[in-house]
Amino acid sequence: MHKRSRWLGGLILLGLAATLTFFRIPLASSQGLTLRSAPVTGALPVSDPGSALWLEATAIEVPLSAQNVTRPMLPDTRVKTVTARALHTDSQLAIMVEWADETHDDSMIRVQDFRDAVALQFPLAAGQPFFCMGQQGGNVNIWHWKADWQADIAARADMNTLYPSMHVDQYPFTAAVDPLAVAPADYVDPNYLPALASGNLFASATRASPVEDLIAGGFGSLTAQAAEGQNVQGYGAWADGAWRVIFARDLTSSEAEDVTFAAGQVYSMSFAAWDGANGERNGQKSTSQWVGLQLGAQTDGAAQPDQPRPSQSSAAAPSDPLGMLYVFGPMVLVAGLIMALAGGALALSALLRPKDRP
Amino acid sequence: MAEVYNWHLGRSMAYAFPEAHPQKQFAAVFNINRCIGCQTCTGACKATWTFSRGQEYMWWNNVESKPYGGYPQHWDIHILQRLDEAHQAAGKQAEWDQAQAGESAPYGVYQGLTITEAAGAEQQALGYIPPDTEWRAPNFYEDTSTGYQGDRLGISTAGASLPEHQTWFFYLQRLCNHCTYPACAAACPRKAIYKRPEDGIVLIDQARCRGYRKCVEQCPYKKSMYRGTTRTSEKCVACYPRVEGSDPLSEGVPMETRCMAVCPGKIRLNGLVDIAADGSWAEAPNHPLYHLIKIEKAALPLYPQFGTEPNIYYIPPRWAPRPYLRQMFGPGVDEAIARYAAPSRQLLAVLQLFRTTQRMIFRFEIEEGPLVLETEVNGQPWQMFNDTVIGFDAKNREVARLSVVEPIHERPAERLNSI
Repeated sequence: MHKRSRWLGGLILLGLAATLTFFRIPLASSQGLTLRSAPVTGALPVSDPGSALWLEATAIEVPLSAQNVTRPMLPDTRVKTVTARALHTDSQLAIMVEWADETHDDSMIRVQDFRDAVALQFPLAAGQPFFCMGQQGGNVNIWHWKADWQADIAARADMNTLYPSMHVDQYPFTAAVDPLAVAPADYVDPNYLPALASGNLFASATRASPVEDLIAGGFGSLTAQAAEGQNVQGYGAWADGAWRVIFARDLTSSEAEDVTFAAGQVYSMSFAAWDGANGERNGQKSTSQWVGLQLGAQTDGAAQPDQPRPSQSSAAAPSDPLGMLYVFGPMVLVAGLIMALAGGALALSALLRPKDRP
Repeated sequence: MAEVYNWHLGRSMAYAFPEAHPQKQFAAVFNINRCIGCQTCTGACKATWTFSRGQEYMWWNNVESKPYGGYPQHWDIHILQRLDEAHQAAGKQAEWDQAQAGESAPYGVYQGLTITEAAGAEQQALGYIPPDTEWRAPNFYEDTSTGYQGDRLGISTAGASLPEHQTWFFYLQRLCNHCTYPACAAACPRKAIYKRPEDGIVLIDQARCRGYRKCVEQCPYKKSMYRGTTRTSEKCVACYPRVEGSDPLSEGVPMETRCMAVCPGKIRLNGLVDIAADGSWAEAPNHPLYHLIKIEKAALPLYPQFGTEPNIYYIPPRWAPRPYLRQMFGPGVDEAIARYAAPSRQLLAVLQLFRTTQRMIFRFEIEEGPLVLETEVNGQPWQMFNDTVIGFDAKNREVARLSVVEPIHERPAERLNSI
């Protein structure tokens, strides 16, 4: 009787794991969250985090955890949660992300300096690919705001920003009169800034937006869209130990690499954040799982009723075997392990029993 | 992690990517014994590649005075310390078993951990990012020797004598090792670093680099460098237009890099060696680099225990303490110094080829000459022959011809005072 109940317990666990997998019932706490974008009229406050309009949007708290699937990893990332709000008009969407960060890291000049940053991620096809950078055949569109790019818009930082007492006789192949003030734009031959010559946006002489528009289809595949395809605007400001960063883009885009939005529809999105002071960059980051993004219909003037699992209501069924493997594989493994342990314990007790009763 | 064979270590080791070897490998031998620390190599590299905005502290080639100097400061001490801590945590010793030395394990078998094996689950390799303060004084401790043991007046009573000087320093010439298993390439989360199949040169794709500095962190030799102006990392490109033979001066044949070609001390020999499909060096006894490294074993890799299979080899300095040299160049040090101190006819001839031409030498021939000297070296009889060595370029054209005894031209009496 005793033995049978243990086996039964193991089977129940395995069954539970299989059921969860089959019905795609998520265990992570951020799943089931929905960011409801409030429809507004007039101009969106795309560069004003303090605008009263943001109060019309319902804020959600999105829990973040350290990326722990691929190397490099940093188990103790610092951003544990972000607060998100969204507003839209009939032509534009704006999302504001806030998070606590005691240090204001907006420089990338010195070798040991890393920037604060935040990113939004949207699947490019119906369903949900792997929540971290998408997967092969499941591309994602990523909007990546960078604190140093934000600072660059006011004044592009360079070596003399960090080293005001530096001296240099000359930089060849530049047209500048004052060598200390040489900027990438002053190079008559950009080959001496090979990243600039190869079209790398990081080396751009000027920046129109602090947000980079990218595409990814799995770890290591992150690729910036072409300069002419950079169409996400943004603004970020740090005050009193917190960042408030706004992303804004037209609801529609003609580019295949861009997500598009329509009022009344539900989308998936996820968040990632980096604390530069902690050396966070690349996959050494805090990330959320998929949450819903719902654009309230313009006619209502108010948010749509609750939908507990927004991603389920989208028309196409998700088909992401790799993502499912990452999320549910460990559960099946744990169930298997418990069964093996239970079996081992049973075998041990069976072995020991005769000795107890000589 | 894949299993790859590292012949420096004499064993397989864990690496991020499976084995895939280039057809040829960029390699060089540096004879530390001959370096005068003039930094002409450093200046040539700087004037060719790193004179622009954001590259102010960037020296792809540098020469540092050991044991105290280092660029970035104390780079090797920092990584050795981390490696030592990993060994202590794992209860292991960084030892070599020389009894297992053989053809595929010329220095024996390394039984310790490499920087990849000591990395743990979260990173590809052990590493650290040196802050700007450690990069900006590239020649700190120049010509600084270890403590001098003199008498009351500071004069040595014994003087300095081989085999080991009590007061010593030596120059270490460093550039990217274009490793067979580059830690920088393994470290890059977006595979922006690649090793070229045609010559094994390791490059950072400037279009894909996002300035994460994982390569700066995990290259144990600290030869990936960050450029704040472009917010990307850059590194030694092995003067690839010269190596490709596409530089106008090269006449279509591979040419030595700038740092190699300018060396007044004639300490450098640069070339391309043929690599077999299994990653071993294709047998080429008449290739000067193959001869120096594989046959004579006179030149050794720098810190082979890091596990990246670096491709710059050093003839260790004869006068420095052996335990220090064994830590730096592995267990082959004693044999290498013995061979260099009393060179064979072939080795002495090949040593003449250093810096005789800008073109890479792919083959040498030796024409035997007469016996010119009989003496003793380290208590053993040694003979010197005035052999002639001839070097050939990639197109098998003669590009160098030198005799062991330098020709002497005696000025006739009537021209004694002419300039």
